[in-house]
This record gives sequence, structure tokens and C-alpha cells, in this order.
Amino acid sequence: MDRKDNQSPQGETARILVEFLVGAITSIVFLKGAYPSGAFERRRRYMNLMVQRARHPRLRDYIHSVVFGLLPIIQKGMVERAAVIFFNTDGIPVERFVFKLAVNLSYGSKVEEADLEFPLRSFLIKLSVSESLTKVLPRNYRWEITAYFRSLPEASANKDVEQWIPTDTRQWGQPPLLTPIKSMSSEPLCVQLYIEHPSLSEPKP
Amino acid sequence: MSMESTRSDNSAKRSFNNNRNSASSNSNSNSNPSNKKKKTSQKTLGVAWGSSSRSSSRSSFNNSPFSNFGSYMVEKNRKLQNQFEAEASTSSHGGSGSVKPIFDGVSIFVDGFTVPSSQELRGYMLKHGGRFENYFSRRCVTHIICSNLPDSKIKNLRSFSRGLPVVKPAWILESVAANKLLSWVPYQLDQLANNQPKLSSFFTLKRSSVSNSASTHAPCQVNPEAEDSSLKVGTSGDTYFSEVSAPFEHHKQISRESDDLVNENSNASLVEETTSSSGKPCEVAMGIPSNIDAKDESSVKNDLQSSHYQPAALVSSNCINNQNIKGSPSSMVSEPSNQSHSTLGDPNFVENYFKNSRLHFIGTWRNRYRKRFHSLSNGFNCTSSNIKASPLKTAIMHVDMDCFFVSVVIRNHPELRDKPVAVCHSDNTKGTAEISSANYPARDYGIKAGMFVRNAKALCPHLVIFPYNFEAYEEVADQFYNVLHKHGNKVQAVSCDEAFLDVTDSEGDPQLLASKIRKEIFETTRCTASVGIAGNMLMARLATRTAKPDGQCYIPPERVDDYLSQLPIKTLPGIGHVLEEKLKKQDVWTCGQLRMISKDSLQKDFGLKTGEMLWNYSRGLDNRLVGLIQGISGSPSASLPHSLGVVVTGILFVWYPLGCASYSIEYFESWQGKFGRHRNIDVWGILPHCLIWCIWHERNARSFEGCELSLREFKSFFLHILFDWSVESKSVGAEVNWGVRFKDVKDAQNFLSNLCKEVSLRLQGCGVEGRTFTLKIKKRRKDAEEPIKYMGHGDCENLSHSTTVPVATDDVEVLQRITKQLFGSFHLDVKEIRGVGLQVSRLESTENSKQGLERNSLKSWLNSASARTEELCKNNYVAKESSNQGCEGEGDETLGQLCGNSVGLSIQMDSNTSNGAACLNEVSVLPPLCHLDMGVLKSLPPELFSELNEIYGGKLVDLIAKNKGKTENINHTLSAYSHEKIEGAMKEGQAALLSSMVFQNEIPVENKAEQHIAKEVPSVSGAESFVPASGLKKTDLIPSSLSQVDTAVLQQLPEELKVDILEHLPAHRMQVFSPNVLLDPTEIPLEALGTKTAENNSGSKDFVLDNNLWVGIPPQWVDKFKVSNCLILNILAEMYYKSGSTGNLSPILQRISSVSLHQLDAFQDGWDEAMYILCELLKQYIKLKIELDIEEIYVCFRLLRRFAMKSELFIQVYNIVSPYLQALVGEKYGGNLHMSLKD
Repeated sequence: MDRKDNQSPQGETARILVEFLVGAITSIVFLKGAYPSGAFERRRRYMNLMVQRARHPRLRDYIHSVVFGLLPIIQKGMVERAAVIFFNTDGIPVERFVFKLAVNLSYGSKVEEADLEFPLRSFLIKLSVSESLTKVLPRNYRWEITAYFRSLPEASANKDVEQWIPTDTRQWGQPPLLTPIKSMSSEPLCVQLYIEHPSLSEPKP
Repeated sequence: MSMESTRSDNSAKRSFNNNRNSASSNSNSNSNPSNKKKKTSQKTLGVAWGSSSRSSSRSSFNNSPFSNFGSYMVEKNRKLQNQFEAEASTSSHGGSGSVKPIFDGVSIFVDGFTVPSSQELRGYMLKHGGRFENYFSRRCVTHIICSNLPDSKIKNLRSFSRGLPVVKPAWILESVAANKLLSWVPYQLDQLANNQPKLSSFFTLKRSSVSNSASTHAPCQVNPEAEDSSLKVGTSGDTYFSEVSAPFEHHKQISRESDDLVNENSNASLVEETTSSSGKPCEVAMGIPSNIDAKDESSVKNDLQSSHYQPAALVSSNCINNQNIKGSPSSMVSEPSNQSHSTLGDPNFVENYFKNSRLHFIGTWRNRYRKRFHSLSNGFNCTSSNIKASPLKTAIMHVDMDCFFVSVVIRNHPELRDKPVAVCHSDNTKGTAEISSANYPARDYGIKAGMFVRNAKALCPHLVIFPYNFEAYEEVADQFYNVLHKHGNKVQAVSCDEAFLDVTDSEGDPQLLASKIRKEIFETTRCTASVGIAGNMLMARLATRTAKPDGQCYIPPERVDDYLSQLPIKTLPGIGHVLEEKLKKQDVWTCGQLRMISKDSLQKDFGLKTGEMLWNYSRGLDNRLVGLIQGISGSPSASLPHSLGVVVTGILFVWYPLGCASYSIEYFESWQGKFGRHRNIDVWGILPHCLIWCIWHERNARSFEGCELSLREFKSFFLHILFDWSVESKSVGAEVNWGVRFKDVKDAQNFLSNLCKEVSLRLQGCGVEGRTFTLKIKKRRKDAEEPIKYMGHGDCENLSHSTTVPVATDDVEVLQRITKQLFGSFHLDVKEIRGVGLQVSRLESTENSKQGLERNSLKSWLNSASARTEELCKNNYVAKESSNQGCEGEGDETLGQLCGNSVGLSIQMDSNTSNGAACLNEVSVLPPLCHLDMGVLKSLPPELFSELNEIYGGKLVDLIAKNKGKTENINHTLSAYSHEKIEGAMKEGQAALLSSMVFQNEIPVENKAEQHIAKEVPSVSGAESFVPASGLKKTDLIPSSLSQVDTAVLQQLPEELKVDILEHLPAHRMQVFSPNVLLDPTEIPLEALGTKTAENNSGSKDFVLDNNLWVGIPPQWVDKFKVSNCLILNILAEMYYKSGSTGNLSPILQRISSVSLHQLDAFQDGWDEAMYILCELLKQYIKLKIELDIEEIYVCFRLLRRFAMKSELFIQVYNIVSPYLQALVGEKYGGNLHMSLKD
């Protein structure tokens, strides 16, 4: 709590955002049934909302470390999108949950936690009822968290950043179909969550 | 069952009990242990025992490490505590041992959602030496933290909180901030703040719980007078008094006063402020004999005696004597044929049934009265609104004919005056016919209304029974009211034989007036009447009770308390059997006892309204006004319920559906459900259901569609629904449940067609037609025996079927056809039918439909964006104007053809439609309210219309005359000179008009503006040029009328509400507060207008090219659309305000979808412009939002796609904008929006 006081507005925004992303990504993974539901437990964790929390330490650590690894980069406003991508066995994306992020770097005044958390909270609520918008995934799918940077960070900047490696995820040939889930826009921060599906004309794998 | 488990159960149980005891012992100051409480605790005890034995029977538990759930929880709690302590030792400031931590000794339990979250609170407690409990336990927890409590918990707060303080989380935060433990009291949950126990409830509740031990002391403290009565009353009275006195004994701090108090209790006039009125008893003691004259005294005494066991004291003694006399069969009556009294063999049964029904008479009488005395009451409408009732000496007179139904019948039989006579539709001695009225000699025999003739004859063998004589009743009732109206202009009819008069303004002594009135009534009708006079309607009515028969009674204000103190509660109007029983259970028998109960606890036990009523009535308070027509502000009787009514109507805006009542008191009258307009009563009835439905709808929208309405949007959404529902709130019908026996289907059909005749007559009588027909059938239950009541319906199943037809009707043949069909759908054995009823609902006024209105008039009040409705609305307006001028045909024509009209219509048609369009324009300039008002204007009966006209200083007629003049002119040529002014006005309108209409009419109009010609202008533009003129004219009428209606109400509203409403209607506010800006367009110099026109025209060409449609608050498009002549654009602009002016499109579209989709195309002209502008609007919106809020765009387009399924226009708009959107999304997001039609 104390570290709050001596942080820049962007730092504070990024911290809130990252905490949110952890919750949201866990919810997505839960929503898609990537693991048996026993792997999750309901916790009154995030902004007093019941959210899923991974039980398995490795899963939890993966999400946590990956997202917190983004913290310094988000703070600099360099992350454009963060996506949870589900692949089939051939490594072709089937469904992508995309968080489009925009941190206002010139925002100067103090960030009130509640001002951001309440709109973000509604993402989680919306997510929990969005299953019908998603697709049934094929068997043996994999998933990963991918971040799209506006520019590549210097490798030496931070230890956390080094965990991020360039990825060669296969892309769709056609522009995908978007289904927006939720958007928020406030002065310090804009977040949009939408699902991408391969377009109907996309050749079937 | 193992020993172990039993014991642990027991110990758990015991600790619970200890908790309770400690709760009640240590929290006396802030809690009110009631006997109710005690009961619940006993109940839980029982349940606990049950559950313990159940759990022990599950043997599987014995094998698990925990012998049962209880021990598991004990273990779990222990572990949690250990965890917490371990964490606390590491995380607290800990080291600073010398300072006592803030929350030392505080242990909180967090209930439900809080800000900050329970985890954070836990953190604070960890850090500052407090404790945090995961599971509630009375033993450990010291404070309950929550921000919000569900209603059920509020109601059972004691069982929920066990007497612990329920505190907001802010307490903890601020304690941390202040670094010391603050008092929790200011942080108590708001919901509870008004729930604080009061002294009075403390007394009343305590009373019964401790009475037993003290009962022996009590009687000696009762003062002589009370003892007098209680002697006769017997034991029940004794126990009552003892109970009352008991609590005072137990509370030594007030024991000195207890004698006085007990005295007072015996007179049952203890008020909430118990200690303040010790001087009262003597006053009461002498009050009764001295203030009431001899006759009254005896009746009061009788009341006193009887109040504890039987309300009808006067009759009871006689009753006992006479009950022993066994009735010998009377020879007066011959056996009537059964046949003629059932549907069997009597072809005119239905007709006769209603001819002989007293209820029917009373029911239809009201209509008759309205018609007959309408002019009278109307006349005083106008005058009395100016009269201010002086608060100090209001005098209300209640006039009631003495046993009306009997005395009228026997007025020609003076010899029967002192003989027992009753009125009944049949005088068969063995009959099960019910006596409907009996005269006083008969009542002395114990004969009461509702008694079977058989029993009455048993009580009084020489009882003379007369049939009804409805002609005579009508005649006498008319005479009666003639007399009343002669003496006072404020007359409120209650029934055909009963009325209230407000004689405050009459000169002279009201008592003298009363005797005069009674004398006159007797002279004209040869029937007697009784009069009660008092300060309000309630007391006047009660006074009449004392006055009867053939007397009068005056209760001055200072004697009200005495009069009421011993009055049995049953006597109060509004207290029926059920309520009486409930009150008696609480040991309340008289008004005086009722007065001892606080308003809060009354409202808790009986509901807000009834509680309030009881509280008021027991104090002789009554705020109803005679005749319902009074000035509102400054009226003394505008007390709490009244202002409450105003606030409620204000919050919910319900005065819209309630209609045009200019006095808020009327709303409240109808709220009470007994007076006021029928429709208003219905609206109040619908209100809660509607509110709940809307909340439910909104909840669904939030959780499934992710869209939310703002509070203001929600309000108007709610209103729309309310309007819709109130359309169907009324029905007319007839039901026959007596004597229905059918031999075969033909019988039944015959009966039905007669029933239809009756219903049709009733419909015509009410001047309405209906669309929904419901046939109700009472079918004998299989095992039901022949009913006790002769030819009654007995035990029946109730069945009903209904159907709705497209066109409203009151036609007998249609009714018969429909009813026959409905009847066929029952597939019943006709022999089983015991009752048939036909109900017609979805009523529409016949007059309106004659003018071509296709819907119920209420519908047109819908200020919705429904194109259909608006069109109707404007058509009606046009139709009304023209019909008021005596050319109804014109209006009809317009209406019939308007929907399909296109370019090639006659000049006259055009002028009319454009008049309609004018309304529209003005509608969009003005707030939605003006729609309502138009609807109101339109549906007003002629009398009211003229009254309104007077109020508005004749503007209404002027307007109509002007419009009329213009319409005529358009048929000829336009003589420019005489109409220069009008044209001036019109040009401003044009300017506005054209700014959105862009293409078509620019040239001719510009010509006109420059040349001021009006010769052979093409008909279309000519017509259009009149649009603004009339439109502007209307703007200066309607807001002014609104300001009159509204401000009266507005003034009474709290400040926030006022602001809210004004914000809601910004345009309206402008009209009200700066009337000069718009009201006199004719004064604006012509030249100025000309230039304006030019400017606006040029502006209108390029505004669409700018990207500024969404700039500003409100966005520019709103103003542009407002003045457009396209319906859909108007609607959009209007919806902008209704949806709470958020600047987002989706709420606006959503509102449109919630109103009516399929009528969006109901206009022809300006299609292209509308489409073009809509597309532009959407494109600019996409551009604005694409970066930041794709969700909003997505929602908008899904709504658009939904519209597109219903509306041609939106298909085109959607098809144009959609590619643009997809391209932009592709650019920004690298994909396409998923818009497939499957969902």
C-alpha cells in the first residue's frame, strides 16, 4: 500500500491494469475450459468480485509472471495489445481474446483506484456471461499469452522484459471477425476487449 | 448417536442461548426485546433440536474425523483464528508494543459486498490489532461491517445482528486515518438509522410480556369510571387494564406518574407522549356527560359496554329477547314459482336480473348522477378553485338518508312507518334471499342487511317485506341532491343516499343549516335524513352515526378526542373484519387504544397506507377534501399524506398517465383508492407491478446484453410501460352468478346473447368500446352439493377465456358472435354452469373513435417516439381542431388517408398533414411533455375544454380559430398582405425546417422569403409554409399551459427533484423561464427573418459536410434533428433527451427499439434526406468511437440491424453505413465486426 504514494500516475494505472489482466486472463482460461474446473477456485479477490483463481501453482505462476512482466512495458505505454490465443494442434489460432490497451502517458493527476476498478470490474462480469459468444475449441488445443508491442523494448531494460521472446505465431490469412465484449475509456486508461475468430472465408485447417 | 456428538450439539446450543441473554441484558439501551423476538428464539431452539437429532442419525459422520458439522466448524474456526494470529504477528506494526493498537478488542464480521473489500478490511484489522471473523458468531464478533443490507435482513435486524452494531466500513477506514478508535455510532448503517426503537413502541411491546406477574395489582388502580365499564365488560377488560398498567410498575423511574397514566389508559387516550398529559383524566371523566346531549350519552355508554365484545350495542339487548321467539310461518307470502327465478324458462332472465339488482342500481346510479349534476359540479369547479378554505373553522356536513331503500318504498305507506319493514328482491318466507335494507323498527328485532329472509322472519314474524322500487329511488335521490346542491356548491356524492357538503363558506350556523336541509329533504322526499357536522369528513361521518335516525349531531374540534376515545375501532371507515381482528389481537378495541400505538409500528404491521390511515383516523384526522377540488398550496389539510403523494408523483412522474388533473390532491385522492377518477385509481394499482417489471427488464438488459439505462432513462422507460399498461386497465362487464341453471346448449346460448345485450348497453352507457372480451364461467365442482343459498352458485371452479379483436366494438351482434365462440372453447356441460360473466377490456372512448381515433385516448398520451402514436397524436390534434370548429369530416378524412398520403394529394390534404408536421416540429422544439398535453387537450370533454380555455385566457380558442383561418386561406390564394405577420413567423420556422431538409424545397421557399408573395405557389410548398406558422403558434400555447399545470406541482417538489425534472425537459424549461424568446415570433422584424432564412439555408447545405454533428453538448445533430420535418429524426432528437443526454448513441437507439420498431417507416416525405443525414450521423459517430469504444459501436449496429428487419429506412441506412464501418474496423483492428444475422 505504501508504494502507491510515490508512483507516477502511469505506474499506478499500469499496476491496476496488470492486476486486472491477471484476473481477466484467468477468467478466460476458465471460461474456455482449458483445465478441469477443479483447477480453479472462486475467490472474492478482485475488487470484491468473485473471480476464478487458478489452483495449480504453475498455471498461477505462468499467468502472474507473464502479466507482471508486462508491467514496466505497459507503464511506458508500449504495449498495444495483449492477447490470449487458443491454438489447435497445428498451431493455427482458433480464437483470440484481445485486450487493446491505451495508457495515457501525458496524464498527470493522481489516479483514483476506484475510478478505474469499477469499469474494469464490469469486464469481468461481462466475461463471465460471454461463453455463448465464443467458439467450441477443438480437442488438444493449446493456449498462450501474447503481447503486441509498439516497438521492441531494449533487452537490457529490465529483467522481467527479458522473459518476453519474439513469437512466430501463425496468423490468419484473412482479416478476422471481431466480437467486442467490453470497452472502457477514461482519461488515464482505455481498454477494449474483443474476441477474434477466423473469418468464414478462412481456409479450414 | 454417540455421546460425544450430543454433547457438542448441546453445548453449541447453550452458547447460543447465552448469547441471547447477554444480548438482551447488555443492549437494553439500543434494542427493544419484544415478545415476538422471544418467540423466534424459541422456534430456533426447536429447530436446532430437530437438526441435531437428524445429524446424529447419519451414522457415516461417526467415521469421519469430525463427529458432526458442529465440531467441524469449531475446528475450522480455530484454525482460521490461528492463521489470523500468525499473520497478525508478522504484519502488524507489532513492534511498537507500548502503544495499544487501534482495534484492540474489536472483532469484525464483514457481510456482503463492501468498499473496500472484506480482504482489505481484514488487512486493516491485522495491522491494527483487531480481529476478523470469517463466520458470524455472537460470541466473538463485536461489530458487523456492511455497506448494504437486503430488506429481509433489515426487517429481521435483531435476528441478523443479534444486537451487535451494524456499521459502515468507513468507520474502520476513518479510525485508521485518525489513528484511534472512533465511536461507531455516526457510522451506523443508514438503512437502520430510522429504525431506532421509540419509547412508545417500547411501552406497547413491553406491556404484554411482563403483564402476568403484575396482573393482581392492576384493577385497584383503575379509576372509578373505567371500573364502571369494565365491570360490565368482564374479564377481558380487566386483563387489558392490568396489562397496560403493568409496565409502569416495572419501571420505577416513571412510577410516580403511573397513576395518572393508568387513568388515562382506562380512557384509552394515551398518546405517544405519555408523560406530558397528566392533567387529562379529569377532563375526560367529565367530558362525556357534559358535552354530549342525553341521547348521545347513552349511545356512547353503550359503545363503551359493547366495545369489547360486540360493536352493535344498540341492537344487542333486543336481540337477546327476540331471538327466543320462534318464528311461525308467515301467511303473507305465497310460494313463488322457482322457474321464473332461474335461467330456466325465463327468457328475460338477464334483463330482470339486473333490473332487480340493488348493486346494479347503486353502480349505475353514479353515472346517472354525473350526467345530471355535471353542469352543476362543473360550475362550481371554476368558482371554488378561487376560494381558499379557511383553516380554522372548516365545517363539513355528512348527510345520509335514514334507511333509504326502505323509507323510500314506504313513504306512501305512512301506516308502516313504525312497523318493521325490510326490502328484499324476494319475499319468500323460506327464502334464502338476502335482506338489503331494514328500517329501524326492524333493526330493533335484530334484522340486519345481508340476513336471509328466512332468518329475519324467524326473528320478526310480522316483518313486512317490500321489493325494490328503482324508479322511486331514482326520483328520491334526485330530489335529495337537488336540495343539497341548493345549499352548498361543494357537494361530494358518496352514494345515491349519502353525500358530503363543505359548508365552510356558508353564512350562519352550520347546525341551523343542517336542520334546514333536513327539513327540506323531508318535505320534498317524505323521507328522513340525518346529518353529522364536524371539521372534516371522517368526523362528520362519525357524527352522523350518532345522529341517526332522523337527527343531527355536531362534533366541535375540541370534543373530537373525547368522542373518539371510546369509539370501537370497527366504526372507523376503512376498518373491516380482517383489520379489526388483527387489531383485536393486539388488544386494541377502541380508537383510544389505537392512539397509543405509534405510527411507525402501525405502518410496520399494516403497511404504509393503512398504518397511516389508522393513525390519522384514531386521532380524528382526515385530510380529504370535499368535492376533490381545492387549491393545493396553503391548504391546511395538505398534510403529510398529501405532500407524500406529491413527492411520489414527482419521483415517478406518474402525473403523466394520471392525466390532466391540475391539482395534485386529486392524484392523492385516487391513490387512496376510494375517490378520484377511476383511471387514476387503476394507474396507482398498476404502478408497483410496472415498476417491478421495469426493474426486472433492466436487470436482464444489464446482465445479458450489457447495456445499462441511466436513472433518468429508466424513469422514462418506466413511464412508457406504465402508459401502455394503463391503457388496458379498465373493463366493463356484467356477471350473473345467481340462478344460473341451463337445461341445454340452446338455453345457454340464449342466456349468453342476453348477457351480451346487457354488456353492450353498459358499454354504450359508459361511452366506450372494447377490444378484449373475457368470458368467465363458474362451473360446479364435481363433488359440490346443491348450494345452501337458493339458486346460488355454491362451490365452483372459475374458468375464463378471452380474445382480442382488432377493432373496438360495443355492437351487440359482434359481442354475441365473440361470446359464442368463447363459450364454445370451454367445452362444458351446460348443466354444470353456475355463473357466467362477460368482461370487456381495452376500452376506447366512443367519441374519440368517431373522430377517427383508433386507440384509446390514453395511448395518445404516450409521448413516445412511436411513429404511429405520434402520428395519431398529431392527427387527433388536427382532427380535434377541425371538429371543434364544426367540420368533423375534414379531420376524419385527414386521418383516414394520412398514412398513405403522397405528393399528389389535394391542397387541403396537404395543409392538414403539414399541420400535423407542424405539431411535430413544435414537438421537437418542445419537450415531450407537450405531446402529453396535446393528448390531454384532445381527449378532454367539451366542458373541460372550455374550462381549460378559460384558464389559459382564451388562447386555446384563439389558436383554433387561427388555425382554422389558415386552413381556409390555403384553399384560396394566399393574400400576402393580411398574412404578413403570419408569414414572418412562418419564415423562422422554415429556416429551421430547411436546415435539415436540405434539397427539395429550398428554391420556392427562398423565393417566398424574398418576395413575400403568396399567389400561385405550388401547393406543397404553400402548405409547408404554413407549417411553421401554426407550429410556432402552438409553441406559445402549449408551454404556457404546461407551466400552469406543472409549476404548481413543481413548486411542491424538493429542490433536487425540481432540478432533475427541469433538466429532463430542457426545452421546456426554456419555455417556462424565458417565455419572451419564443412566444412572440410575430414581433420579430420581417427583414431579420429573411436574412436568417438565408443564413440557415446556406448552413443547412454544408452542415452535413462538416464533421461536427457530434460536437458539443448536446451534440449539434440534436438541434438539427429537432427542427427537421422527418419523423424519425425528430424521434432521435427527442430520445437524446430522454435517454439522459449521455452523448452515446446506443441508449438512444435502445430507447427507440423499446418503443416501436415497425412504425419507423410511417412517413413518406423527406425519406432521402433522412437517410442521408442518418448515414452521416452514424459515420461520424463511428469515426468518433472507433478508436476507443468499439463495444459501443457494436451495440449500436446490432440495434440497427434489428431495426433493419422491421424498417425499410433502416435497411438502407444499414447497408450504406455497414461497409464503411467494416472498412474502418479493418483499418484499426485488422478485422471485421462479427455481424452475422444468426443472433
